[in-house]
Amino acid sequence: MNQFFKTLSRSMAMLGGIVLTFIILLTCVSILGRAMFSGLHSGFAQAWFPGLASALIDAGIGPVRGDFEVAGSLMAFAIFAFLPLTQMTNGHASVDIFTSWIPPRGQRVLRLIIEVLFALVLIVIATQLLAGTQSKLKSGQTTFLLEYPIWWAYAASLCGAVIAAIVAVYMVAVRVAELATGTTLISDEMGADL
Amino acid sequence: MTTLEIGIWSFPALLGLIFMRVPIGLAMFLAGYVGLWLINGSPSAGMAKLKSETYTQFSNNSLSIVPIFLLMGHFASLGGMSQALFKAAESWVGHRKGGVAMATIGACAGFGAICGSSLATAATMCRVALPELRKSGYSGGLSTATLAAGGTLGILIPPSVVLVIYAILTEQNIAKLFLAAFVPGILAAFGYVIVIAIYVRIHPESAGIRPRVPYAERFKNLVAVWPVLVVFLAMVGGIYGGIFTPTEGASIGALGTGLIAVINGGLRWNTLLDSFLVTARSTAMIFFIVLGAAFYNGFLAQSQVPQEASNWVVSQGFSPWTVLVIILVFYLILGCLMDSLSMILLTIPIFWPVMSALDFGMSVEHTAIWFGILVLIVVEVGLITPPVGMNLFIINAMERTTPLVETYRAVVYFVASDLIRTAILVLFPAITLFLIP
Repeated sequence: MNQFFKTLSRSMAMLGGIVLTFIILLTCVSILGRAMFSGLHSGFAQAWFPGLASALIDAGIGPVRGDFEVAGSLMAFAIFAFLPLTQMTNGHASVDIFTSWIPPRGQRVLRLIIEVLFALVLIVIATQLLAGTQSKLKSGQTTFLLEYPIWWAYAASLCGAVIAAIVAVYMVAVRVAELATGTTLISDEMGADL
Repeated sequence: MTTLEIGIWSFPALLGLIFMRVPIGLAMFLAGYVGLWLINGSPSAGMAKLKSETYTQFSNNSLSIVPIFLLMGHFASLGGMSQALFKAAESWVGHRKGGVAMATIGACAGFGAICGSSLATAATMCRVALPELRKSGYSGGLSTATLAAGGTLGILIPPSVVLVIYAILTEQNIAKLFLAAFVPGILAAFGYVIVIAIYVRIHPESAGIRPRVPYAERFKNLVAVWPVLVVFLAMVGGIYGGIFTPTEGASIGALGTGLIAVINGGLRWNTLLDSFLVTARSTAMIFFIVLGAAFYNGFLAQSQVPQEASNWVVSQGFSPWTVLVIILVFYLILGCLMDSLSMILLTIPIFWPVMSALDFGMSVEHTAIWFGILVLIVVEVGLITPPVGMNLFIINAMERTTPLVETYRAVVYFVASDLIRTAILVLFPAITLFLIP
C-alpha cells in the first residue's frame, strides 16, 4: 500500500520534472528563434542575402508562437504534479519548536489533526478546480494566441490535484495507524528555506 | 466585529496555528478562508475564488522562475563547477592564514552566481570544501560555520529565489532587484573573509597552513571556471540588457548549467530523475505557501488592514528610520523561528505599504529596492542563527563529528558581520542603489 502511493507520487513528480525540462527547452528555442528572426530582419542580412533571409523567415524561423501560454499551462500541471510527493514525504514548511515539549502521544494526535485539515483543504481545492474546469468547458474560453481551450490546461492540472487529495487522505490513514500503534511511519521534513 | 477588527484578529489566530505546527501554507490558507467567510458572511466567497485561483497562481509566468532556478541549482551541483571554483580560489589564497576558509567563501560566492538557493550552495560546497578544510587542519567549528555562512551567499548574490518572491509581492522589477543585490552580495563575501582573518588571529589553533601554489597553476585553475562565468554572463547580462525576461534568463541558465553537467558526466538519467524529485518537493512546498499567502493576503487587503496600518504609522509621526530599524529587528527575531520564504510572504504585504508611505528622501521604487535588499539580508541571517538555522542543520547533518555547539560558537562572528553590513547598508542607501538607473 505504502509502496503504491510512494511510486505514484514519485512518478508524478518525475513526470512534472520532465514537463519542467520541456518548458525550459521550449523557452530557449523560442529565444533562439526570436534572436534569429531579428538577425534575419537586420540590415546586414537584408543587404547580403535578402532571398535567403526572406525564405528562412517564411519557413517559420522566429519565436515559438504562443510559447508563453503553453509554458503557463504546462507549469500549472507540473506544480500540481509535484504536490503529491511533498504531501507523501511531509515536506511542507512548519515551525516545530513550540510543540517539541508535547509528549509523543500528543504529537501524534496533533499530527493527525493537521493531516485531516490538510486532506480537507486538498479535497476542496480539487473539487473547486473541477468546478473551474467545468465552467471553462461550458464557456468555451480559449487562450489568446493559440486559441486552444483553457479547460484542457485546467483538466491537466486537475489530475495532479486529485492525486494530491488522494495521497492526503492516505496520509490521514497513516497518522491514524501511527496513533493506534504508537509508532512513527513517516517522519517530518524541513522548512521553506532556499 | 468590524471588517478591520477581523483583519487584526487574524494575526494572533494565524500565529497560533503556525506555532501549533500547522504547516505555514496551510495555516495562511485557513486563516484567509475563514477571514473571507467572516467578512462576506458566507463560505462561498472563498470557494468561488478557488475555482481559478490555484490555476492562476501556479501558471503565473514570474513565479515560473522558482522551479527553474531550483532545478538549475541541482544541475550546478552535479556539474562539478563547485570543485573548479574551490580549486581556483584555494590555489590563490589557500596559503594565507585562514586561506582555505577564505577560499571556501570565494567559491560559495562564485557558486551563488549560478545558484539561487542557499541550502543548495551550502550542501554542494560542503561536499567539496569540508574534506579539504579538515585535511588542512581547520577546526570543526570554523569549517562548519564558514560553510553555513558561505551558503547564504547563494541567495545574497543574484540570482535569488527570495528576491523573485519579493519582487512579485511588491510589484517591482526583478532585473533591477538582482542588479541592486550585486554589490551588497560582494560586500557580504568580503565581510566573511575579514571575519575569518580575525577569527584565526583570535584562535590561531583553528587553522592550518598550506604551501604556496605556483602562479602557472593558479592561472590554470582560474581559467577552469570559465563555464560558470559564461552561464552567469549570458543569464544575468541578458536579463539586464533587456534581451530576455527573467523567466527566459532562468531557462537559459538552467540549460547552460545542465549542459555543463552533462559534459562533465555529472548529469545522467538517474541523477536527472533525482534532481526532479528534490526540485518537486521544494517547488510544491513553496507554491503551497504562495497559494496560502495569496489567499490570506487577498483577505487582508479586503479587511483594509495594510492601508490602516500604514495610515496609522504615518499619522503617529514616527521617524521613518525608527520604523525601518524596528522592522529589521523584527525579522531578525522571527528568523530564529521561521524560514525565510514564509517570513517574506507573511510580512511584506503589511510592511511594504507602511514602508512605501514613509519618506526616506528617495523615490518609491528606490525605497522598494533598498528595503528588499535589506530584508533579504536580515531574513538570510535567520539561516545561520540558532535555534532554527537551516544552513547549520544541513552542514551538521553532513559533518557529524563536529557538535552543533562548536558551530554556534564560530557562527556568531559571521552573524556579527551580517549585522554590521546591514547597518552600513541602512546608513548608506547609495551602496545598494547606485547601479540602478
